[in-house]
Amino acid sequence: MVKPTLVTNSIRALRFANGEMTQADLADRVGVTRQTIIAIEQGRYSPSLEMAFRIARVFRVPLDQAFQYSDGQG
Amino acid sequence: MTFLEKSNWVVLVVAVPTLLVYVALVVPQVLGKPISEVSWVQPMLITIVGFIVANILGNVVAAASNPGEADKEDQRDREIDHLGERVGNWLIIAGSIAALALAMADADHFWIANAIFLGGLAASIVSSVTKIAAYHGPFQTW
Repeated sequence: MVKPTLVTNSIRALRFANGEMTQADLADRVGVTRQTIIAIEQGRYSPSLEMAFRIARVFRVPLDQAFQYSDGQG
Repeated sequence: MTFLEKSNWVVLVVAVPTLLVYVALVVPQVLGKPISEVSWVQPMLITIVGFIVANILGNVVAAASNPGEADKEDQRDREIDHLGERVGNWLIIAGSIAALALAMADADHFWIANAIFLGGLAASIVSSVTKIAAYHGPFQTW
């Protein structure tokens, strides 16, 4: 339940690079609640692969530009 | 706060006073007279019905406070819900096993009913606390 996630993300930077998109806008476009976007941005929740793809697709970037995985682990 | 998180707060806010009311109604009797003379059926029914009605009213108020959010849930909500329910189910099972053991030991109906009732109420409380903690802390199911 509380295993620290090694997945990091660039969602905040991507939102600002996309016309300062709000968390609510991103949530609507991904089809999740704003609280889930906040949790992902803060590294408190790792999305499923499908949700990660949907987020990357909103920003029109490859998955690994939106999400990164720490080297040397796992 | 999502509607589902508010809903869990409602369960918690209702369940704790429910438990306290029941304890206040029954424990003084248990201490003062034989178990077979304790009037526990009515207090248990009152607290069960009160718990259900208060939960419904609380959810209506929570939904009315932000109608746009009331029907929204996503994968994280569902994962958190499953986790909380899994944790709560252990207490329901514990209460059921205790009731079974009491029945086998030919215990008074009071103890059997209370093992089930308190197991269920404890499950509601622990399940809600687990979900609320998952909403606010790191959470992942894998």
